[in-house]
Amino acid sequence: MNEVTPPRHIFTFFFDGKEIPAHPGQSVAAAILNQGSRILRQSRIAAKPRSVFCGIGICFDCLVVIDGAPNQRACLAQAKPGLLVEIQLGSGEDHLQVGGS
Amino acid sequence: MSAALAAANGGAKVRLIESAPRLGGQYWRHLPEDGADGWSGQALLHTAYQAGYLLRTQVLSHPSIEVLCGVQIWSAVRVADTVSFQVLEDGVNRTLETRILVLATGAYDRTLPFPGWEIPGVMTPGGVQALLKGSNVLAGKKIVLAGSGPFLLPVADGLAKSGAEIVALYDANSLRRWGAHLGVALNNIPKLMDGVRYLRTLAAHRVFLKSGYAVICAHAGVDGTLESVDVAQIDREFNLITGTQKNIECDVVAVGWGFTPDLSIAQSLGLQQELGWDGSAVVSVDELQATSQSGIYAAGEITGIGGADLSLTEGTIAGQAAADFLKKINRSLTRNKLIALQKRRSRERRFARSIAEIYRVKDGWQGWLTDESIICRCEEISLGTLRGAIHELGATDLRSAKLFCRVGMGACQGRICSSSAIAIVAKENKSHPSLQDQISANNRPIISPITLGQLAAGDADSL
Repeated sequence: MNEVTPPRHIFTFFFDGKEIPAHPGQSVAAAILNQGSRILRQSRIAAKPRSVFCGIGICFDCLVVIDGAPNQRACLAQAKPGLLVEIQLGSGEDHLQVGGS
Repeated sequence: MSAALAAANGGAKVRLIESAPRLGGQYWRHLPEDGADGWSGQALLHTAYQAGYLLRTQVLSHPSIEVLCGVQIWSAVRVADTVSFQVLEDGVNRTLETRILVLATGAYDRTLPFPGWEIPGVMTPGGVQALLKGSNVLAGKKIVLAGSGPFLLPVADGLAKSGAEIVALYDANSLRRWGAHLGVALNNIPKLMDGVRYLRTLAAHRVFLKSGYAVICAHAGVDGTLESVDVAQIDREFNLITGTQKNIECDVVAVGWGFTPDLSIAQSLGLQQELGWDGSAVVSVDELQATSQSGIYAAGEITGIGGADLSLTEGTIAGQAAADFLKKINRSLTRNKLIALQKRRSRERRFARSIAEIYRVKDGWQGWLTDESIICRCEEISLGTLRGAIHELGATDLRSAKLFCRVGMGACQGRICSSSAIAIVAKENKSHPSLQDQISANNRPIISPITLGQLAAGDADSL
């Protein structure tokens, strides 16, 4: 809906259980924002919502889990068909902490 | 790209390492060459787009240039005469070595903290533009643009042409500040005309630049994302003028204060730095763009923020000088051509100095903060915590503040907050930010993240 030119949705991937349309060359973050979802991560300490800030891979605020791998910058990751993208909670690796589940 | 082309034309074999998936950098960021969505369809979003397209085509088709895109340099060291990079390419670690290097790592938006700047929907102008140029996506529907600097205009222009509603466009510095720089301005008419063209397009979309205002606070709605911002008039030193505050609804606010040079690789290689005209650390270079280390040249924003034209000029000089160094000849450029390039560089540098002076960030911004305001976004360190580190624990510079409260020690490695934290530590200590502080903030032995798995699977011999 925010597309500049008429959408040419070529494939979809999944974010937070929703199917997200995207086309080649778009970043994961751009495709998600384009569908109106804005929260990509919960911060590690205060668990506050975060999203794209710098948009060019500098700030590390748009970290998401992609196909099980945490700490992926959604603004740099290229959208690909069938990706499973999840909102990152905490460090994305909390299960590895001593005493973690 | 201009350095690669000049070096190749000077007879060198060149390998161009680009971290992004496609050539063009931030300035000529574009979608893949895919019909209407590609570079060819985005002419309206790009200034000097033909020049960029031509340059990129020359680089890609030059027989002596090998282009590596999507390659992240995560470590840079120099042993004897050899620069050794550890890089990640498609998640695989490998080593790339060279004896001669032209470094052109560019810059990213300079940001200042303000209450609520961590809320989803608060972005940098560069980020908003990257979504548009790189992915053809509007960051939001109702957008406020603020901060200071000429870069706000092309961002607003692209958004307006692409159908976003620009609710407001503010520059903290007054346009009257151009008054003292008219001579320099008249020497750079094409740049002024760019500005005039942007303002005219914006006026056609009923967007008018208001100067002397700043976004001082962002508010989240019930879903935790941006709902509105507070805007206020500020004086010349950026102090709030009481009674001028108002609330504006928007779903995105983009705030930028010029640019910060990306010095991570330069710092890893130990290149000498100095304070640039806008107060940030920059790589020191001589007349031929040579750095403090022989065989290493630097060009573009890392030698002083000056925009695309200055970067192209510097790149051409650096690339040619690097090719000459390789062939151990003194100077292959004809004297006239070199003088012409250097004259152009001087003119463009004077313009860059004027821009830095006109759009300077004044210390008054610190007065917009409260003790609860986040300073370091990664480690979620508030101003109150940072003040505690300064006044109770005795931090006198960024380094000690980092050790006491972890400001600037998160995932971004201080790229976003360190210049602000340096300013806060200096002001609270009643001193001034030092070059040493700026340089040490860029110490990042691991330049971009790499997992232990990638490290173990890669080319481990070279470590």
